[in-house]
Amino acid sequence: MILALLFANAEGNILIERFSGVPAEERLHWRSFLVKLGADNLKGMKNEELLVASHKSVYIVYTVLGDVSVYVVGKDEYDELALSEVIFAITSAVKDVCGKPPTERLFLDKYGKICLCLDEIVWKGLLENTEKDRIRRLVRLKPPTEF
Amino acid sequence: MAQPLVKKDDDRDDEAEYSPFLGIEKGAVLQEARVFNDPQLDPRRCSQVITKLLYLLNQGETFTKIEATEVFFAVTKLFQSKDVGLRRMVYLMIKELSPSADEVIIVTSSLMKDMNSKTDMYRANAIRVLCRITDGTLLTQIERYLKQAIVDKNPVVASAALVSGIHLLQTNPEIVKRWSNEVQEAVQSRAALVQFHALALLHQIRQNDRLAVSKLVTSLTRGTVRSPLAQCLLIRYTSQVIRESATNTQGGDRPFYDFLESCLRHKAEMVIFEAARAITELSAVTSRELTPAITVLQLFLSSSKPVLRFAAVRTLNKVAMTHPMAVTNCNIDMESLISDQNRSIATLAITTLLKTGNESSVDRLMKQITNFMSDIADEFKIVVVEAIRSLCLKFPLKYRSLMNFLSNILREEGGFEYKKAIVDSIVILIRDIPDAKENGLLHLCEFIEDCEFTYLSTQILHFLGIEGPKTSDPSKYIRYIYNRVHLENATVRAAAVSTLAKFGAMVDALKPRIFVLLRRCLFDSDDEVRDRATLYINTLGGDGEVVETEKDVKDFLFGDFDIPLVNLETSLKNYEPSEQPFDINFVPREVKSHTLAEKKAPGKKPTGLGAPPTAPTSTLDAYETLLSSIPEFSSFGKLFKSSAPVELTEAETEYAVNVVKHIFDRHVVFQYNCTNTIPEQLLENVTVIVDASDAEEFSEVISKPLRSLPYDSPGHAFVAFEKPDGVPAVGKFSNMLRFIVKEVDPATGEAEEDGVEDEYQLEDLEVVAADYMIKVGVSNFRNAWESLGPDCERVDEYGLGPRESLAEAVNAVINLLGMQPCEGTEVVPSNSRSHTCLLSGVYIGNVKVLVRLQFGIDGPKEVAMKLAVRSDDESVSDAIHEIVASG
Repeated sequence: MILALLFANAEGNILIERFSGVPAEERLHWRSFLVKLGADNLKGMKNEELLVASHKSVYIVYTVLGDVSVYVVGKDEYDELALSEVIFAITSAVKDVCGKPPTERLFLDKYGKICLCLDEIVWKGLLENTEKDRIRRLVRLKPPTEF
Repeated sequence: MAQPLVKKDDDRDDEAEYSPFLGIEKGAVLQEARVFNDPQLDPRRCSQVITKLLYLLNQGETFTKIEATEVFFAVTKLFQSKDVGLRRMVYLMIKELSPSADEVIIVTSSLMKDMNSKTDMYRANAIRVLCRITDGTLLTQIERYLKQAIVDKNPVVASAALVSGIHLLQTNPEIVKRWSNEVQEAVQSRAALVQFHALALLHQIRQNDRLAVSKLVTSLTRGTVRSPLAQCLLIRYTSQVIRESATNTQGGDRPFYDFLESCLRHKAEMVIFEAARAITELSAVTSRELTPAITVLQLFLSSSKPVLRFAAVRTLNKVAMTHPMAVTNCNIDMESLISDQNRSIATLAITTLLKTGNESSVDRLMKQITNFMSDIADEFKIVVVEAIRSLCLKFPLKYRSLMNFLSNILREEGGFEYKKAIVDSIVILIRDIPDAKENGLLHLCEFIEDCEFTYLSTQILHFLGIEGPKTSDPSKYIRYIYNRVHLENATVRAAAVSTLAKFGAMVDALKPRIFVLLRRCLFDSDDEVRDRATLYINTLGGDGEVVETEKDVKDFLFGDFDIPLVNLETSLKNYEPSEQPFDINFVPREVKSHTLAEKKAPGKKPTGLGAPPTAPTSTLDAYETLLSSIPEFSSFGKLFKSSAPVELTEAETEYAVNVVKHIFDRHVVFQYNCTNTIPEQLLENVTVIVDASDAEEFSEVISKPLRSLPYDSPGHAFVAFEKPDGVPAVGKFSNMLRFIVKEVDPATGEAEEDGVEDEYQLEDLEVVAADYMIKVGVSNFRNAWESLGPDCERVDEYGLGPRESLAEAVNAVINLLGMQPCEGTEVVPSNSRSHTCLLSGVYIGNVKVLVRLQFGIDGPKEVAMKLAVRSDDESVSDAIHEIVASG
C-alpha cells in the first residue's frame, strides 16, 4: 500500500498531500515528520536524487524537483524499490507537465494537470500507471499509443 | 522551514512569484462553484474552479457534509459538457468528494452511460469512479460490465477494472471471487501493467487456498512474465510457497530455488533485488544457496542509485545477523558507505560492519564511526551503540577502545533513550568482561557527576553499590557517590545513601568514614534520605550497638528480593488493615504459570540496569533462569534440556504434583511442581523422597525442600542426582511426598502452631534415552545428511516384531529416540507396506544427529527396520543404535 504522497515547497509548506489507509489523526504527524525529514536532508541535493528512510515496516523515498520536494511513503509490497518506481513516475510526469523541474509558481500554475497525473499514477494506494507518455495521454482522455 | 504546517497562500511579496491561489478561501471557492449550474457552461472556468477545490482538499481542508453534497451535485451537472478536459476533472472531483458527500449514488446513471461509451477512456474512468461509490447491490448490477472490462483489449480499461477489483475485494469478496476466470486470462495479457494488476488480484482472490497459490506459482515460473513489477510479485508469492511447503517436501533440493536464482540474472534491477532478498530470507539457507544472492547485493552496494544501495545494505544487514561470514566479502564496499550522505545507508553499513568485522579491523572501524556519530540522529546512534556492545562481547580483548568510545559518546549531548543505551552497554560489558570493570565504573562515576536523568543516576548508584566494593580500591568511588548527596534531587540522594551503606557493609576499612558521611545525611531535608541514613547507621552498628550479625546486614543490603513484585503487590492489595500486621512470609514466592507462558513472547533486548533480569524468550530460558537462581545448582553448568511436565498424581487429588526433568551434562534435576488443593491445610517442609534403587547410575546429591505450601499457591521442590558425564543413563525412580501438615482455620486463614508429619505416594518417574535428545529440525534433510558425511555412519537392521500397523511402529521409534521428524515423514500413508522416516536432533554434548529409518511390514504384521545414523561423533551414532537395541 502506498500510504502517502506529499509535495511541499522549499519552506516546507504543503502543496499537495494525499493519504491512503492512514487514519486522519495520524496525518498531521506524518506531515510534520516528512517535512522535517526533508528539511534535515534535502538541502543541496540534486534534482531527482533519491533519499531513503525506513521506520519499522514503513519505507519513505523522497527527493527534490526544482522548488518542490516530493515524498512517497509505502509499506508491505511498496518497499524502497517499488516506491522509487512510483516517485520516478511522479517526477517524470510533473516535469512533463511543467516542461522542466518546476518553480513553485509553475507547479501551482499547472496544479490541476498535476493532480490528474497523480490520479493516474496512484489510485487509492495502488500503483496504476508508470510511463509519462501514457500518463500524458490518459489525462487528456486519449488511449495509450500501444493500443 | 519555520512553520512547516502553515498553508501556502500568502507568503510571497514578489509579484512575479505570486501564487495563483493567493488568498484562496473555502467559502469563496464554494460560491464560485455555482458556475457549474450555469445553463451555458464555460469549461475553462469550471476547470479552474475544480482546480481550486482540489487545492483546498489536497491541503487537508475538510468540507462539511452539506458543503460536500452541494458541490457534488453541482459537479454532476458538468456531465452535460462534452469538453474532454473538463470531463477528466469531473471524474477526479467526484472521487475526491464521494467519501464526504451524501447521495453519491445519484451519479450512477451518468457513469453507467460513460461505462458503455464508445470512447474507451470514458469507460476506464467511469469504472474507477463507479467502484469508488458502489455498494453491494449496485456492484451486482454492473458486475457483467466489469468482467468484460477485465479482458478488454484496451489495457487502461482492463487495469481500471482489475485495480477496482483489488479495492472491491475488501468490501465484496464473494462477488470479486467470481471473476477469477477473467482475471486468470488477464494474467496472460501482453500488456505489462495489466499482467501486474491481474497477478496481484488473482493472488488476493486465492490467498487462502495454498494449493491454488502453489499451482499459480508453478505455472507462472515456467512461463514468461513480462512486467518486472509482476515478476517481483511472483518472486514474493514463490517465497511464500517455499515457506509453506518447507516441512512437506521429500528431501532433495529446495523447490523453486532455481527459479529464484535465475531471477538474479534478470535485466530489471528490482527483480534482481527481489530475488536476492527472497533467497536470503529462505529458512535454514545454506551458504551455497546464499552466495549468488550476496554477490548481486554486493554489486548494488556501489550502485549510483541510493535506493539500490539502501536496499542492498538493508538486506545484508539482516543476513549479517544470521550468517555474518557470508557478508564479510562485502566489507570493503560497506566501509565506503560509511560516508554516504544518506544517513540511513551509512548507519546500516556501520551496524553491518560491526557484526561482520574481525578483531583486527575494530580500531579502524571505531575511528570512522567517531566522525560519523556527530551528524546522525539519536535513533541511529542507539542502533550503533547496540551494535558496538555486541561487538565488544564478541571480541573482549578490544574492550579498551570500545569502552573508550562509549565513554566519549556518553559525555556528548543526547536524549534519555540514547544515554540509557550507552549506560546499559557499559554495565553489560562490566558484568561480562572482568578486565573492563574498574575502567567502566569510573566512566559511570564521571557520567553521574553531570547527569540530568534521575533514573540513570539512581540505577548507576545501585550498580556501583554492588560492584564498587569488590574492586581493588573502593575508596575512589566514594567521592562521586557522596557528591550526589550534596548536588542532586531527593531520589538520587536517597539512592546515594544506600550505595554508601553498601560500601560500609562490604569494606571494613571504609566503615568508620562511611559512618561520618551517613551521619551528615541525617540532616537532609528529605524524609526518605534521612530515614535511609538512620536505618543504615543502625543496621551497620554505627551508633555503637551491634544489632545485627554481619551476614544479616549483607543479606539485608544485598540480598535478592526473592518475592515477585507482582505477587507482593497482589498480597498488599488483598491485605485488610487489622490487628495482625502484614507478613511478607505469606506472599507466594512462585511466579504463576501464566506468566511463564507470557515469557514465551519475544523478549526485550537485554537491559543492563534495573532489577528484573532479561525476560526469558522460551520455557527453557525460564527454567534456566529459575535453576540458576538456586545456588546449589550453579555448579551444574549449562542446562541441556528440560522435559515437558510429567504428571505424578491423578487429576483432582488432594495434592497435585508434576515433575520436570532438567538434564545437565553430569546431573539431572527433578523439579517437582506441587499444588495444595485443600483450603484447610498448610503444608510445610515439603520434600520428595526419591528411591533410585532402579536407577543404578544415579546418586542423589541434593534435595531442596519447599518451605511452605499454602492452599492453591504452587511451589517447587527439587531433587538433584549425579550421573556419569555425558552418558545417557536411564532408570526408574519412585517418589514419595513427605511434609508437615498444619490445620488452617478457614475463617481467619491462620494455621495452627503444631503440625503432623505425613506422607503421600506419587507415581513413578522414568529417565529415558529421549531425555538426552533435543528435537531440532532441518529444512533440507538430504543436504544436511550429505554434509555430515559417511565417516561416523552406523547402519544396522532390527526386527520390531508384530505391530498393529506400520504407523504405530514408526511412532514408537520416533518417541523412543525423541527426535524431530523432518519433511513430514512421520506421516505414514495408509495401506503402505514400506516407509522411510527422517529424523533430526541434537544429542547431549551438543552433537548433531540425523537418522534415516526404513520400515517394511510383511503379511503377519512383522515389522523390520533398517536404521542408519549419521553424526559428528561415532560414539553418538553407536549410542543411538544402543537406544534402539535396548528399547
